[in-house]
Amino acid sequence: MTGDDLQALAATALEEIAGAADPDQLEEVRRRYLARHGGSIAAAADRLAEVRGEERAALGRAFNAAKRAVTEALEQREAELQASLWDRELAEERMDLSHPLHPLQRGHQHPVARTVREIEDIFTGLGYTAVAGPEIEDDLHNFQLLNMPEEHPARDGHDTFYLGGSAQGWLYRTHTSPMQIRTMLAGKPPFRIIVPGKVARRDNPDPTHNPVFHQVEGLCVDEGVTVADLKGTLEYVLGQLFGQDRRVRLRASFFPYTEPSLEADVACGICAGEGCRSCLNKGWIEILGSGMVHPSVLAAVGVDPARYSGFAFGMGPDRITALRYGIRDVRELYENDLRLLEGF
Amino acid sequence: MRVSHEWLGSMVDLEGVSPKEVERLLTISGTEVERVTRFAAGLEPLVLGEVVEFKRLDGSDHLFLAQVRGSEPEPVEVVCGAPNLFVGALVPWARPGTRLPSGLEIGRRRIRGVQSEGMLCAPDELGLGADHDGVFTLRPGEGEPGQPLRELFPEDTVYELEILSNRGDCLSHLGVATELAAMLDRPVHPGDMTPVDATGEPIAQSVEVRIAVRELCPIYTACAFTAIPQLPAPLEVRRRLMAVGQRSLGVVVDLANYVMLDVGQPLHTFDLDRIQGEDGRVVIEVRPGRQRETMLGLDQQERSLAPSDLVIAANGKAAAIAGLLGSWDSSVTPKTTQLLLESANFQWTSIRGTSRRLGLRTEASARFERFLSPHLVPMGTRRFARLLHDHLGVSPRPGLLTAGELPPPAEPIRISASRISALLGMEVTAGESRSALERLGFTVALEGEDLVASPPTVRTDLSQPVDLVEEVGRIIGYDRLPATLPALRRPPAGPSANATQRLAGEILMGAGYTEAITLSLFDPGRPRPVSGLGDGVEAQRIANPLSGALEGLRVSLLPGLLGSCQLNQARGAERTRLFEQGRVFWTSGKDGRPQEPELLAAVDQGVDFQASDSAAALRHLLRVCQALGDRLSADSTKFMAAVRPGFHPVRCAEVVSRGEVRGVVGELDPRSCAALGLRGRVVACELRVDGWLLPGGRPGSGRELAQTPPLIMDLAVSVPEEAPLGEAVAAVGGIGLAELEAVRVLDEYRGAQLANGLKGWTFRLVFRDPNRTLTSQQGVDLRDRVARVLADVSGARVR
Repeated sequence: MTGDDLQALAATALEEIAGAADPDQLEEVRRRYLARHGGSIAAAADRLAEVRGEERAALGRAFNAAKRAVTEALEQREAELQASLWDRELAEERMDLSHPLHPLQRGHQHPVARTVREIEDIFTGLGYTAVAGPEIEDDLHNFQLLNMPEEHPARDGHDTFYLGGSAQGWLYRTHTSPMQIRTMLAGKPPFRIIVPGKVARRDNPDPTHNPVFHQVEGLCVDEGVTVADLKGTLEYVLGQLFGQDRRVRLRASFFPYTEPSLEADVACGICAGEGCRSCLNKGWIEILGSGMVHPSVLAAVGVDPARYSGFAFGMGPDRITALRYGIRDVRELYENDLRLLEGF
Repeated sequence: MRVSHEWLGSMVDLEGVSPKEVERLLTISGTEVERVTRFAAGLEPLVLGEVVEFKRLDGSDHLFLAQVRGSEPEPVEVVCGAPNLFVGALVPWARPGTRLPSGLEIGRRRIRGVQSEGMLCAPDELGLGADHDGVFTLRPGEGEPGQPLRELFPEDTVYELEILSNRGDCLSHLGVATELAAMLDRPVHPGDMTPVDATGEPIAQSVEVRIAVRELCPIYTACAFTAIPQLPAPLEVRRRLMAVGQRSLGVVVDLANYVMLDVGQPLHTFDLDRIQGEDGRVVIEVRPGRQRETMLGLDQQERSLAPSDLVIAANGKAAAIAGLLGSWDSSVTPKTTQLLLESANFQWTSIRGTSRRLGLRTEASARFERFLSPHLVPMGTRRFARLLHDHLGVSPRPGLLTAGELPPPAEPIRISASRISALLGMEVTAGESRSALERLGFTVALEGEDLVASPPTVRTDLSQPVDLVEEVGRIIGYDRLPATLPALRRPPAGPSANATQRLAGEILMGAGYTEAITLSLFDPGRPRPVSGLGDGVEAQRIANPLSGALEGLRVSLLPGLLGSCQLNQARGAERTRLFEQGRVFWTSGKDGRPQEPELLAAVDQGVDFQASDSAAALRHLLRVCQALGDRLSADSTKFMAAVRPGFHPVRCAEVVSRGEVRGVVGELDPRSCAALGLRGRVVACELRVDGWLLPGGRPGSGRELAQTPPLIMDLAVSVPEEAPLGEAVAAVGGIGLAELEAVRVLDEYRGAQLANGLKGWTFRLVFRDPNRTLTSQQGVDLRDRVARVLADVSGARVR
């Protein structure tokens, strides 16, 4: 066998390797050319032992070249065949990714809870702490200490549920403001709290009323707290809730426990203040009541009104939720219809 | 309250001020405009017609045939059903072809053989109110035949106002005009109240007034008028009353109403002839109602009076309930010629109490309830006398009877200019503050840095320095204030109260449960087969419920959640998974104040659930409870089989940690579900969160991470059917094998390869020694120790 023979043999082998259609055929080719026993290129190794000198060196080089060429071709072809095997196998694993999905079984947050959480987070960022208080209150904390003595006309807006069977006169709090009182009685200024929670008023259910609903009360008392601080706080908070570009308007109002008293409106989301059917032509939507804590309220809970001042506010997350998410009937908020809740 | 733009404009110059601007100014200064409507729109096509003569239409029992003259000299025939025609009357006439404000077009019609040339109009047909009792009539001289109606009824804007509960002074055009004038910085001009010269017999000779209860009536005044003409009130009065939605009820009542809406003082009128005794004398006394006293009201209803009521008695007999209602037989009628006019102030709590007791509310009572100033009393009398005199030529009889007296004007209020600036958060000079207050009618003196301000006598809401801050703030406008944030001088006080709720909610939502909120009130009359932790607790009742459906305070969250399941089932849901966190109300011992435990409840209903599905759902819910305990409580959580009312007899456990029952979890008894109309099966839990879960959850803990490989051994055993797996796992954990890193249950097996009464467990044991790599032999030894413990605890045999 000469070097030329080996070269020809290698060329044939390369052709056969290229023509091998699967790993078995490839193995067959490998065996025929490279098997230690019977491989036709391997047989050249036996010839090497028989020649000497220059001839041996030339034959050795030819042998190595042929073996290397065939080995490399085998490896390359094997890799190719492996890859196409994977291609074929994977091709059979095709999925229809457009197939409608069975939704992940995740729970949904109640929209009112979501609003309350957002309000909490906004105020937490301003250094407020959320506190909780009893939902069953007495007249003293719900009314009297808030400057609403018996028969005060301002109680007209607070139609109250009273508990039966007790001379104590327990009532379901009509607002979260009693927690202002409890907080101030229990501590020393400065105070900076919000009070999210349930309240109840004796209103027949209708699209804008539920007898039980939520309120978030806020209180900030310190030296030198001003109406301008109240304004800045409300503008920031309402901007966070309704979008920074929504205009906020403060207007004078009356609450027995604040003086001055102010209500905050945001511009109607539909007409931006011009007046439309959605806002009953007012252009503005009432969002919350607020004011500077009345000096008599401060004095009654042992906070010196000559040294301290502060503001308080109360907002209705139910109403805010209805406005933000276009829910027309607040009664739906407590039905827990999954079709509504799954939107959150 | 409704106010007319035109009426306001008679008191404050509204030149160049659009209704939109009036609305804005009133609203931001505290008098909220709820609605704006147009009055007398679309009257252009109508003219005045003069009724030259009229007679009954042949063959009709209610129609008249009127000869009506417009600008043409010849009258034409118009058929009309109004009972109040008179010869010479000027009436709104819609000639054929006229389109009424309602859009209705009037044609020429034949009625009972007569061609009617259009129609004569009642106020409601002109969009001027609800009155349909007759056509609107003017007296000769109040207009000209053929004159366009528009000239007499200029178009007006009517504002519907929400008056703040402390601003009784704003319940009148003068009050609102004063606010508007202050906002516009223009002067306010009240209607003419200059006294009228009196004539005739002095009133004191025949009438006397007394107050028996001064604390309920600080001042009572009366004056008398004679020769009241039988004429309607002047057009301007009637038009303005119509604009604000009042019906015209005759000159005396109209003028009294007008004065109330004009200056804010409620007036009451008696027919003097009807209340005086046979001797011509009458004693008016303001006194409490008497036991068994009754009064037939103007509305022809008989009412019992109570000692808490304030009564105006004439010669001993109740002639009016103060501020609420006159009696039938003391009131003015169209025939009244002698009038006694009452202008008085009644204490608000009394009026309010009687108003509530009788379920009666009037324009007058609504005003007295809001601390009306006694200083309005003389204004009311003078304005009435002036109008009666100027429009109808009637003069009062000499003398104004007065019982009680006007209180002295309120003490001036002192505040420093710097205090106003400090509270508002903006520099406001003493001069600016003074000007703002003066615009509102205060008398202000500057004493050094201090403002000394005397409020207008009609204001009853001002007594403290801070009240002045509000007045200054709202007049200069809150829009001028800067927006600042208060300095944070002390760090926040720690975790928020509901941090636990948030974390718990995240676990439940992550596990597929949707958050629900239900009302805290429920119907205690309906069956409650499942009450979770509130079982056996008697619900507290609302003493004054809206309806039976909301009479009780909830003792458990489960009934509400199951109600929501029912609703979702009815609306087509196949599976309802909900949870709620909130307070319930349990009776407690001492003062009757309910305890308010904070609970968390969850339900999972599948309308097609079989027992195996609910078993899987229950296992899932148990894992949720476990996760809550692991993440949020300090201690480990165990489930101890229990029998609880409403729950499945053998699929219910109490959730226990640190030896205390924290809640209940299980499948509901299918019979309970059926009683609630729930299909399929329901699993549920109710947990008491307070006292168990930590605010902020269990603190995290780090550990040293071993670098050696784990040795994993599986162990299969057979055990008697009744052996509880939880106990077995707990026992393995309790051996105290330092190398045992984890025990997992791979499988619980029942079947052919096991003898009857046996089941199989396969555990995967993970061993690791942080200091050396464990050998297989060591693993086998460790596994054998576990097997021995299982044998002891559960009677396990290695398979």
